[in-house]
Amino acid sequence: MNTPSQAFTEFQVSLAQLGQNTATDDWSDDQRMERARHTFMSRLDRRAAVDMDTCIHCGMCAEACHFYVATQEERFTPAYKIDPLRRFYRREVSPMRLFNRLFTRKLDADDLREWSELVFEACTGCGRCDMMCPMGINISDNINIMREGLAAAGLVPGELRELQDEQREKNTLFGVGADELRSVASKLAEQGTQLPLDKVSADVLLLTTAVEIRLFPEAIAACAKIMQKSGADWTISTEAFEASNLGLISGDKASRRSAISRIADKAKSCGASTVVVPESGHAYQALRWESANELGEALPFEVLAISEYVARALKDGKLSLKPASDLGSVTYHDPCRLSRQGGVFAEPREVLQVMGLDVRETDSNRRENLCCGGGCGEYAISRSARIRQQAFDLKRHELDDTQADAVVTGCNNCRINLMIGAEKSGWDMPVISLVETVAGNLAE
Amino acid sequence: MTLLDFARGPALQWSLIILVAGIVWRVLGAILLSTRKDLSTPRRKSGLKDGMGTIASRSLPASAFEKRIRFQHITGYAWHLALFVTVLFFGPHILFFESILGFGWPNLPNGVVLFAGAIALAILIALLIRRATNPVQKLISNADDYISVIIVMLPLLTGIIAFAHIGARYETLLAIHLLSIEAMFIWFPFGKLMHTAMTFPSRFQAGTSFGRRGIKA
Repeated sequence: MNTPSQAFTEFQVSLAQLGQNTATDDWSDDQRMERARHTFMSRLDRRAAVDMDTCIHCGMCAEACHFYVATQEERFTPAYKIDPLRRFYRREVSPMRLFNRLFTRKLDADDLREWSELVFEACTGCGRCDMMCPMGINISDNINIMREGLAAAGLVPGELRELQDEQREKNTLFGVGADELRSVASKLAEQGTQLPLDKVSADVLLLTTAVEIRLFPEAIAACAKIMQKSGADWTISTEAFEASNLGLISGDKASRRSAISRIADKAKSCGASTVVVPESGHAYQALRWESANELGEALPFEVLAISEYVARALKDGKLSLKPASDLGSVTYHDPCRLSRQGGVFAEPREVLQVMGLDVRETDSNRRENLCCGGGCGEYAISRSARIRQQAFDLKRHELDDTQADAVVTGCNNCRINLMIGAEKSGWDMPVISLVETVAGNLAE
Repeated sequence: MTLLDFARGPALQWSLIILVAGIVWRVLGAILLSTRKDLSTPRRKSGLKDGMGTIASRSLPASAFEKRIRFQHITGYAWHLALFVTVLFFGPHILFFESILGFGWPNLPNGVVLFAGAIALAILIALLIRRATNPVQKLISNADDYISVIIVMLPLLTGIIAFAHIGARYETLLAIHLLSIEAMFIWFPFGKLMHTAMTFPSRFQAGTSFGRRGIKA
């Protein structure tokens, strides 16, 4: 049974309060349009242009979207979510733009407001539609461009805006910063797990998240045990521990870049050859695939998800696991941004199998896995609660069909969303973390 | 100059010029835009194999999704197949291609081709009705979606009428058939019939960009 802890209940109260005191931009509609226009122009490159020119409006992408499938609301069709970008491309960028202007309605600020709902509240950026499109259109990439344009126009939902600003300006999230990390470190030390904070030099820079500090300190302890057991020379930085990147979610370039820079600078200054990302799908995407592009240079360190780190340590003989005694069968939920968009499919499954677990696949899995429904910060947006729960129900049925003892995942966002869904619907399949399962079964 | 002379002469020439120039202009207009180099370290090298793999795989059934999109998949396959049979294996079409290319190939019996043409036309009508009534397709459709389907229906319709010699002299019917094809040529680069050319670069780039992250797209 997924009994909500007090910390989880308090966290949900914090979520409900988000967005009430968010800064707003006092811009005219023309100013908003101009800012969106500038972003769209700079982001519509060859890749996006080919995508925009190839869509045949077949509508198949709707069938890949958990929000459409769960609600049957046609507005949630992925191709429709990027329609403003396509209209913009047709009028302003396409080689046929002079002709297209006769038939394509101009984008205005009201369109941007309407699509802010579709792109932020009704899309987790999971990219399942990318795998379905018969034309090979990378719809989620174009959703990202939409989000960037909307962020530039000041039309990000209040919850994400508040978190993004907090991270950029204060280097905290949900009020969690260096002090809270130190406090968790002392609690874990009392329990016998040391976190070597702020070492001047280290080979591995381990990251964590505010969510782990508030809700899942066991996951931090688990990462620490894995680091120790594998003999790593590692550290966690109180200045640059936060792996989450709200700018990646909200589309705000400055926030995205500052979060990435903070980590890259720390990794360089302590001479780390590896940055290990905790269980967070979007953080992996930000650091593994976006950071070099964001900073405009190849980076002198490798980025590994904690599951990749464990799989490699097992292979290199630095770590060994004993059979898991308290679990028989599990199903693995692929976090979208870690697997479908990040490429980490095999490692988590390998690790579960090393512990002798019977890994059962859901009907859709790996590159076609159904999103938990609230990934990538979506669970923070209160207005999307209804459709999120409907999408969760789809996921829940697929998980139940496996008849596994528990669902294991490698992402805090997924974990939280599954826990929220479970609490609301009385669902009782345990939701557990891969890294905590590993730490519980380390061989002596 | 008779209508048929016009259809076979200047109309054909100009429509082909618009078709070819338009396709080149539109493809180059998209392909020549700059794109940033991906600076992240690839999980594995990706290239031709991933790109070609995705070109092939997106024509195959889509595993987990298949049951939800079976209608579109089957009609999509049947429509393209019926079109190719009609265009490429009708005796008079082959003679026309032979006059341009200098070589021909065996034709299929007229009855088979007529059946394929009728199937192609019926599928287009079904797809048009679906587009106008299915909530998802209705919402995402623009004028191009309807124009492109109708303009492809016309050559099929006029071709069947010409074959059956209904309503006018054969020369007139043939001229109308040719003109309907030329109208399609002219519309081609302006609308979504361009997917014929754009699908391949689009699938290719999906294959390579996911491939470098270790994902088979």
